[in-house]
Order: sequence, then structure tokens, then C-alpha cells
Amino acid sequence: MNILITSAASALAQDLARAFSTDHSVHLTDVVDVALPWPFTRCALGHDAATADLVAGVDALIHLAEPPPDYASETEESANRLLDFHTRCTYNLLLAASEAGVARCVYTSSLSLFANIFDEVGCGEDWAVDERWRPRPSTEPPVLARHLGEFVCREFAREGRIAVTCLRLGNVGQPGGRAAPPDDPTWLAHTDAVHAFERALAAPAEPWAIYHVQSAFPGARFSSARARDALGFAPDRSSGGEA
Amino acid sequence: MRVLILGGAARLGPHVIRALEGEHTLRVTDISPVETPHEYRRVDVADPDDVHRAAEGMDAIVNCTVVREDGQAAFDVNARGCYNMLRAAVAHGIPRVLNTGPHFTIAGRSYTAFDYEIGPDVPPHPSTYLYALSKGLGQEICKVFTENHDVHVLCFLFYDFQDHDAPTVGLNHPFAISWRDAAEAIRLGLSVDLATLPSRCEVFNIFADLPHQRFSNEKNKRLLGFTPQDRLEAMWRRR
Repeated sequence: MNILITSAASALAQDLARAFSTDHSVHLTDVVDVALPWPFTRCALGHDAATADLVAGVDALIHLAEPPPDYASETEESANRLLDFHTRCTYNLLLAASEAGVARCVYTSSLSLFANIFDEVGCGEDWAVDERWRPRPSTEPPVLARHLGEFVCREFAREGRIAVTCLRLGNVGQPGGRAAPPDDPTWLAHTDAVHAFERALAAPAEPWAIYHVQSAFPGARFSSARARDALGFAPDRSSGGEA
Repeated sequence: MRVLILGGAARLGPHVIRALEGEHTLRVTDISPVETPHEYRRVDVADPDDVHRAAEGMDAIVNCTVVREDGQAAFDVNARGCYNMLRAAVAHGIPRVLNTGPHFTIAGRSYTAFDYEIGPDVPPHPSTYLYALSKGLGQEICKVFTENHDVHVLCFLFYDFQDHDAPTVGLNHPFAISWRDAAEAIRLGLSVDLATLPSRCEVFNIFADLPHQRFSNEKNKRLLGFTPQDRLEAMWRRR
């Protein structure tokens, strides 16, 4: 399978490339230059021939939508760049992919879309919040942007233009990290994150599917039961406890 | 009320200005020059600083900005423009924002190809059409802001605008409204008691009273007291 992975500068993209390259052909892209041992194309993800060329011949797309570090400042200009990246660039990428006949996309969202739910009356942390719940994103740009990226993907999936698996990840830990930080109930071990993507691409493509993904440890806020049942997601339990 | 109008030079803008200028103090803005007796400022809604400055001292914002087919500008204006508008509203404590868009901001082809009596409160399916999706993103941004901040957004959905005294015979688009009725809906949106609305984010289908029942505009009458004066019957008369 020919797999295109976006946000090549991120550690997760490079670990995914390492994992998938044993059995598949991987190609990476980013909006900035990155030196990598795998084929790489810098692409601004505009509505243009460069994006069309990028997706030509691709079977599956892993859209990490991880912005470059310089998008992370707290200025309004930076917030605008982040929103643009998640909305317009995701739109251009999926439009080009669907027109090129790419069969499926794995879009990377976040469990942070539910952070506000804990503040709502009657929705304390003892509630089992799963994929059937409506997200309650905040207006913080990194959260809102992920939510809007899902919005874009959902419309492509609804029209049957490309199958989209939406992985809502917990807070992805550092590579090599093996234990949940004491103050992070949505922690996701780096290795578990890579495993979730492997399982998502191994499973039959549904037109639109959402999975909550986090590691298994005592006090884990979200259940990954649906990912376990449908994808065979089996987080590393060496840190102990049940998801 | 001091009202900021974004997109005052757009198609709907001049009609809104005429409907509001007798009752409100207007600050008219656009990225293009506007001939107006009211205060005018050049504002690019994709520029957060522009919008923040323009919103200072205002009691309400009416957003008439729109870009339809340009792949960059549609997102800049229709999506990020809403973000910048709501950020400015929250920063300045402006309680009332009126947003506008086409009917497929909410009801794209997955509704219109299948259903009747499509109301404004259905889950949004804008489709992947650039104009619809970028406007749908803008409306979603509005909704998220109302769920997180003390600001109300009334979204008015339009599609086909007609001259009240010369509607296009035989055009028969079910989501048509006269210019003056469209502007009147905006005027009512500025006067409705926000405490009477069911939520801080309400969407309204603005089209003429015609018997096709493809869409529903019942909510306008119930919540805004808005009944279009122009029925635009000529659009549906057999030739």
C-alpha cells in the first residue's frame, strides 16, 4: 500500500513512517522542509497542482494535521494560521485525494474536544463519555482547529468521496515514555499512538468512523473500547490498569 | 444601538444599511470603499487587528461578508472572518452578532436532494462545495463561541435575492427573498429580546412565504415576528 503521511516534522509522523515502511511504501510531506530517510515532498497544501501531484498514486492518507512549531504562539495571527491550516489545508488535501481516487484517510483529532464537558452541569468525570457524545470544544485555537478539521473530513465522508477514520487521540507522550504523568488522565503513550494508526489502516474502511484512543492506566479518563472492538487496538498494559 | 456592519459593500450590505440607518448608529466597513453618509472604515475580516479595532464601542455586529469561489479567500473570509468577529465580540463584550450565509451553510445537497420541510435546526450538512463548506465552518465557529462565551449569534440564511417589484419570472428557486424583506429580517434580529431565544445560537431560514414547503420558515415568525411582505409569486407562475 502507498501511504502518504502529513506533518513529517513531527515525531509521530516519523515513528509512523518507521512502522509502516516495513510492509508498505511510505511518503511524507510537510509545509516546511524536513530531512528524512524516507521520500519527502514539501507541500503547502494549496488548491493547486502540487497537492494533486502529492496524492497521485496514494492508497491511504494519514493526515496528522500537526502544525509546525511556529504556529503555536498565542497571538491572534498565529491562531488564524492554525485555523487556516486545519480547515483550508485539510480541505485541499481531501479534495485532491478524493479526486485522485485515494480510498481512505486517517484524520488525527483530539480528546481535548471534550475538555469542556466536565464543566457542564451533571457531566462530572464519572460519566462514560464515548464516541456517541457530541464534542464540546473550547474556543482555544488548537482545540477549535481540530474540531473544524473533523467538520471538513465529515463532509467528504458523508458524500462518499473518501472514507475517513477519525482517531481522537489523548495527549501523546514523548517517544519512549512508558508511564502516565500523574496529572494527565488522557495520556497516550507514543507507542500506543503508533499502534492505533497501524490498526486503523489494517481494519476495513468504513465511510466515517470515530475512535477514542488513549493508553490503559488507572484513572484513564476515556475508554478506547470501541477502538479495541472494531480495530483490535490493544494498548501496552505495562503501565498497569485497565482502560 | 451602535452597529458594526462587516461587508457593507457586499450585495446585501447596502440594503441592510438602508433598513437600519433610521434606528441605529452605523459603522460601515468593507475591504472595498463604500459610499455612505455613515462612519466608514476599511476592514479586512481576515485581519484580526482590523476587526478588533472596528468592533470597539459597538453594541452589535452584522456580518454580511462573503466570498464564494476563491479557494483561499473563501476560507479567509467565510471561516476565519467569523473567528475574528467572535473574538472581537467577546473581547469588547458585544452581546449580539448577526451572521449571514447561504442556505447550504446548514442544508446542503444531502438534505435538498431528499427532504421537505427542511428547518434551520437540522444538523449542518453543508457538503464539500467550497462556498457551502467554508460558510458552514464559519457558522460552526459561531456556535462554539456561543457555547463558551456570553455572546448570542443569530444566523440568517439566504440564497436567492430578488427585487420585490420585478422578481425573475420562472426562476422558481424555493429559497428566494426580496432584498427589502431580507434587510427587514436583519432589522428584527437587532431588536429581538435575546432572553426570549431558546439558545445563544439560533439559525433562521429567510425566504418568501410560498407554498412549496421544501424548507420551513416558521421559526422566523415564532421567534422574530418576521413575516415577509413580498411573496414573489411570479417566480412560480407557469408561463
